[in-house]
Amino acid sequence: MFWRKRKPGDFTAEIEAHLELETEQLKEQGLSEEEARAAARRAFGNVTRAQERFYESGIWLWWDHLVQDLRFGLRKLAKNPGFTAVAILTLAIGIGANTAIFSLIDAVMLRMLPVQRPNELRLVRIAQPGDTGEGNPDFTNPIWEQVRDRQGVFSGVFAWSGDRFDLAQGGAVHYANGIWVSGDYFKTLELRPAAGRLLTASDDQHGCPGAAVLSYGFWQEHYGGAPSAMGSTLSLNAHPFEVVGVAPPGFYGMDVGSKFDVAIPICAAALFDGKESHLDARSWWWLNVAGRPNPGVSLSQLAAGLRVVSPQVFAASLPTTWPPDMQKDFLHRVLATTPVATGTSDLRQQFDRPLELLMAVVGLVLLIACANIASLMLARAATRQKDLAVRQALGAGRFRLVRQLLTECVLLSSAGALVGILFARWGTALLVRFISTAGNEVFLDLSLDRRVLGFTVAIAVFTGVLFGVLPALRATRVSLTLAMKGSQAIESERPGRFRSRHWIVASQVALSLVLLVAAGLFLRSFSKLATLDIGFDRSNVLLVGIDLKTAKVPPDLQLPTYEAIESRLRALPGVVSVGRSVITQVGGGGVIGNLHTEWSSAVTGASSLVCINFISPGYFGTLRMTLLAGRNFNGSDTKTSPAVVIVSQTLAHRFFPNLDPVGKTFRTDDVGGKLGPPIEVVGVVRDSKYQSVREEASPIAFFPVTQIHGNSEEETFELRTGVRPSALVSAVQAAVGGVNKQIPIEFHTLAEQVNDSMVQERMLALLSGFFGALALLLAMVGLYGTLSYLVAQRQTEFGIRMALGAEPASILRLVMRNVIAVLAVGVVAGIGISLAATRVLQQLLFGLGPRDAVTMIAAVAVLSVVALIAGYLPARRATKVNPMVALRNE
Amino acid sequence: MSTQKEKDRLELLQGTLDLLILRTLIFGPQHGQGIGRNIQQTSEDELLVEHGALYPALQRLEERGWITAEWGTSANNRKARFYTLTRLGRKQLVKETTKWRRLAAAIGRVLGPKAEEG
Repeated sequence: MFWRKRKPGDFTAEIEAHLELETEQLKEQGLSEEEARAAARRAFGNVTRAQERFYESGIWLWWDHLVQDLRFGLRKLAKNPGFTAVAILTLAIGIGANTAIFSLIDAVMLRMLPVQRPNELRLVRIAQPGDTGEGNPDFTNPIWEQVRDRQGVFSGVFAWSGDRFDLAQGGAVHYANGIWVSGDYFKTLELRPAAGRLLTASDDQHGCPGAAVLSYGFWQEHYGGAPSAMGSTLSLNAHPFEVVGVAPPGFYGMDVGSKFDVAIPICAAALFDGKESHLDARSWWWLNVAGRPNPGVSLSQLAAGLRVVSPQVFAASLPTTWPPDMQKDFLHRVLATTPVATGTSDLRQQFDRPLELLMAVVGLVLLIACANIASLMLARAATRQKDLAVRQALGAGRFRLVRQLLTECVLLSSAGALVGILFARWGTALLVRFISTAGNEVFLDLSLDRRVLGFTVAIAVFTGVLFGVLPALRATRVSLTLAMKGSQAIESERPGRFRSRHWIVASQVALSLVLLVAAGLFLRSFSKLATLDIGFDRSNVLLVGIDLKTAKVPPDLQLPTYEAIESRLRALPGVVSVGRSVITQVGGGGVIGNLHTEWSSAVTGASSLVCINFISPGYFGTLRMTLLAGRNFNGSDTKTSPAVVIVSQTLAHRFFPNLDPVGKTFRTDDVGGKLGPPIEVVGVVRDSKYQSVREEASPIAFFPVTQIHGNSEEETFELRTGVRPSALVSAVQAAVGGVNKQIPIEFHTLAEQVNDSMVQERMLALLSGFFGALALLLAMVGLYGTLSYLVAQRQTEFGIRMALGAEPASILRLVMRNVIAVLAVGVVAGIGISLAATRVLQQLLFGLGPRDAVTMIAAVAVLSVVALIAGYLPARRATKVNPMVALRNE
Repeated sequence: MSTQKEKDRLELLQGTLDLLILRTLIFGPQHGQGIGRNIQQTSEDELLVEHGALYPALQRLEERGWITAEWGTSANNRKARFYTLTRLGRKQLVKETTKWRRLAAAIGRVLGPKAEEG
């Protein structure tokens, strides 16, 4: 409201006008100019008083006080640069950490898609009646086409799918992030091209020639934003695409956590895969579907409309090769929707709990930081007591003084927030790097938005008041006479008491213990995971992914091509051995299938599902996997020889309990649900992790690569190297190029792939460790500072004690008693909080419980040792007090 | 400084100035000096209004939304700030007037009929 208030100048002008009018009137009544002026003034009374009354009634006083407070505060802070710098830095770390984690939460979970009216958009899902939950968002292309053609309730509906496309034409791969989009994708999102045109329904017809839309960033980076990009040709997986336009800046796609470089129509899948493309595949679930409902259609109308079309949609897209009972279920499925204003993201499921947890962690760090500054302020307030007392004696109200002190605090916290935002920018970028993996680079739109700024401003003010209120109230509650006398007696009236300062430090100890326990749990959890026996040796293995499909090698030449590459790789210097497989273990992907055996009737349904890999004879040796029984594959296992398999321990136990598996046979499910020919078990291999490090031991069936049904277009070579794996990259490139220059090659190391599957644990361990250490540091600075201050306060007392014959040891004991009391209170409270709070960590831990005694004891031990050191330093200073000097101070 | 005549005038009771200002403005917009003169004249020079006290009162009334103000020109072509009664102010005037009348009547009854000053 106050901006409507008048300015003092306006008020003065009004008084001037009044005096003029009055003078004029009096002159008319016959007074002389001079008399009239004097009379007018007399009638008005005290002009200055009127102005003062106006001023005091208004906001100007308030504003002037604020300006005064700010200037005074700045002067005070500038006079104490050491204190100011420490406080600002502490706050910057606390506020910066909070802003960093919050901007990540904002970017991953809260931010609206940068499209028109994102709130209207609905994600279409497929629900199975009787199942709980929202339904599955994955679609096959036949289902999607049915939805597209029966979209009555939607004004626009579209499908998309993330993928990556190789820009290089042969040789080392250079992937671009791609999205497959349906014709109405851009139209329904109501996006405008930055250049050229966007894809439309006419681009997405079966048999399309292939057009591409670039993202703005990709256009800038690879074409320098040149208009000549339009109409040029872009090679994706060795197929030419015409660039038709550029998407608007700031649009990164529907998927939060990645950004697209290029968008191509769904119909172009046929260009890559011909007849075998996913376009007609009825159980290939690769698309997401979203729509914008017609204006005026309510949610219940939308649901009803989709329910009506569901039977037709699923009848027309039925996977006819499925078993009859699954077909029946399929026909009963219904379409449902959920909001998708913030886009879709795999990151949410993976990181929402860790992020919430980290938010709590940085919140605690900020509290500890606040406590530190509060004790600093308390100490400072004590030294300012005389000054405050003088001001109170001169008539300053307590409220006014508190306000002045709080202004100083908010000044500090605002400065902290400004620096904190810089820390946060840098920290968030680092965090995103933490959660990125070689195979999945995470991209997040981290531009500062109003929500993040609002959050930062709010915590800045909140922390300022939080750490300021107690010291301000304490500082202004003084006995004037005592303060004026300059006696130190005020502060040390009752030295033995557990005072507010002690409580502050004790709470810091408690909170940092909680953080240390959490850090300990995550570090132990991660180390258990990292040192887990995964069944193979991850070090010094280079993975070379070979893609014969993009190189257009015909099926009958594929096996000879692989074999030619393998023999060349084996000949490379630095290569110890070479294996080859369809799946690289712990790469996140996998193939599963059903196995059947007459040896055990118990194995049916889900328990007959096993993990499958196809490997060369060199695979086990290269990965140093131990064969426990039977034989390895060899050159005599060919396409025409009898089918053979090597099984993992777990698989052997499940299918042949208490039997020797070697020589037994399996059958696999063939297409159409019929059983395939028998396959003989020739060996048993030690258990290993298949998809991720966290999984339980999986049943794995290894088949020879030579006996793959049909063709195998993508395989990976495993190279055990005598040198650093990455040193071999160019030699491998040359070797593969010597066989066929068109072959795209992708490089990884096995260690990197294993590490990438622990990204969440690694992030939690690193960050909780970092913040735990930070909390410990802050708490110890607080403890040290407080004790130093108390020792300084009691210098006289110690001096007298020493003069009267006290031993240094007894003085030391006196001070250390304080430390131990604070520590004991803090540790007990901290253990209590930890025991209550750690239950939420359960899900995020691996291989230990949240009440792990080892962690708890270690955390208490670390904390106690550090606290005793932090307390000992000032305590020792107490024993060095020179009685004469101390007494002279009095 | 002040003349004998001014000393005889009645000092305003607390709170009555607001009522008088509102009452004056019922005849239309007026500037501060005009309001002061007006009160003096209609009270037949019985009431003493210190002009300086007028402005904080006007300020207060404006903040309460009972009057609004605007710069304009006076009859003799001088710039002045003119005050206008708002609807809220009009309501307030009715309320205050009633209150005042009741108060005056009650005091009158207590003091007795035609009580003369000693």
